[in-house]
Amino acid sequence: MRGNVRYLAWAGVVVALGILFYSTRSTISHDPWTWVGVFLTVAVFSFLYRENRIYRFAEHLVVGVANGYSISFTVHRVIVPYVIKPLSAGFKALAADGPSLKLLDPNSSANFIILVPLAIGLLYFARFIPKYAWLVRIPMAIFMGYYTGQTVPAAFTGVVFPQLKATLVTQASFGGDPWLGVWKVLVLVGVLTTLTYFFFSREHKGVLKWSAKTGIIYVMVGFGASFGFTVMARISLAIGRFYFLFRDWLGILH
Amino acid sequence: MNFEKLLHIDRKVIFVLMGVAIVIPLVFPFRLPVGEQPPTRGLFDTIDRIDPAKQALMVSTDWTPQTEAENQPMTVALIRHGLARKLRVVVISFYNESIPMANQAVMQVVEEYNSQAKNEAEKVVYGRDVVLLGWVPPPIVPILGMGQSITGVYKVDYYGAGTDTLPIMKGLGSYDDIGLVCAVSGGSSPQWFLQFAQPRYGVKIAAAVTAVSAPDLYAYIESGQLSGMLGGMKGAAEYENLIEEKYHVGGRQRAMEGMGPQSIGHLLIMALVIMGNVGYFVARRKAS
Repeated sequence: MRGNVRYLAWAGVVVALGILFYSTRSTISHDPWTWVGVFLTVAVFSFLYRENRIYRFAEHLVVGVANGYSISFTVHRVIVPYVIKPLSAGFKALAADGPSLKLLDPNSSANFIILVPLAIGLLYFARFIPKYAWLVRIPMAIFMGYYTGQTVPAAFTGVVFPQLKATLVTQASFGGDPWLGVWKVLVLVGVLTTLTYFFFSREHKGVLKWSAKTGIIYVMVGFGASFGFTVMARISLAIGRFYFLFRDWLGILH
Repeated sequence: MNFEKLLHIDRKVIFVLMGVAIVIPLVFPFRLPVGEQPPTRGLFDTIDRIDPAKQALMVSTDWTPQTEAENQPMTVALIRHGLARKLRVVVISFYNESIPMANQAVMQVVEEYNSQAKNEAEKVVYGRDVVLLGWVPPPIVPILGMGQSITGVYKVDYYGAGTDTLPIMKGLGSYDDIGLVCAVSGGSSPQWFLQFAQPRYGVKIAAAVTAVSAPDLYAYIESGQLSGMLGGMKGAAEYENLIEEKYHVGGRQRAMEGMGPQSIGHLLIMALVIMGNVGYFVARRKAS
């Protein structure tokens, strides 16, 4: 088996050299950033052979760059326009026109009301001061309360109720294309039998047994479909990288 | 033949085979018929039914570099379709990582159109025909806020221009003026729109997602909550083909180009799965 691997590896090298030779006739990128991308792509691909330092370097670089990018983007796109600018304009307006209720209008370009959410947000940093670490619970409580309040009703109105409605089989299901009605029945059977399979309060015997057996077929078909889609996605991503190497770097593809 | 060997193929061999299966169709391309699936047709027809005089197309580019191979062709195809129909195209994003790539997609399509324009009237103008509104976190804020006022949420566009000064935003108040929101996503942004925007504001939603996410969304197609869907590079290729057939708008069809390597890759995986199973059953029979 090892001999076969070596043979295939050499075959791969020969193919790669052939392609590189072919590429010399076209334009290899002169953009240094493309070369950086190529280095990182090859560094990450090197993991397919084995874990190594170049791969680790690329991995750490991605984490660092992604964090740096996110922080700088947030400063420029959130902190500056939504905090610094309104406050700065607010101080200018205060100096020019004196205090006014307009400075507390959240829709105004110059306002101090932003200080309230800013103060609440800053409490997240209280965790770094052990004596006041409990204050971090305030923004977390607001955050969780807000999201729970928004999400729970939305889950019902946006997912549970429409999906329940779509599962029902009525006379209208067969009104147009009869095949649609058949699919609807299959969906209903799938939902009921799959739920049976995950019903653990009673031993799967008799009707329950056959229902659960049918349910597991649906579950397996679902897993198979998911696996197929996952394979498709991973191959697509590999195609994307090879495109980059062969088009943007080597210039073989046009 | 020693079938048991099939159970112990070195994974490096599989990687090399997969690399070769992808590279050869890329270097020596061939075109395969892509056909169309009902969810792809549904998305295409929904955009085709939007009245350009009344409503705009919103494309939410919620993907990161990891899924660029799948989501970038979708983004480009959707913007292309919108502009081919003379719709106003509004691009937003919920991920800061996707903003530069969304900008690249917008500029690519603008350049495509302008390089083929025969006169000034046919040219696409940023700020009049298409706009990139950028990023406002967290996602729930713009999703809910746009039900009241789009310019209220996005006060400036990606380039810092006041949205109330842009011609494209005239008459675009809220979701009422959006014919379809298509979430191009590598994650779950279509579900956010389905949960928060559709029940409250009744806006039509479609999804263009990676193949990994597609199975989760078929239930929403069946229930009619999603007007259409593109699943993975295959969905993007079908969409590129539909636009090409109807509107003949030029430009690179990246997903179509990827269908050759994709098909060969699938055939290889199928062969490996079959070989592995044959090896398993032969080995089991021998053992018994």
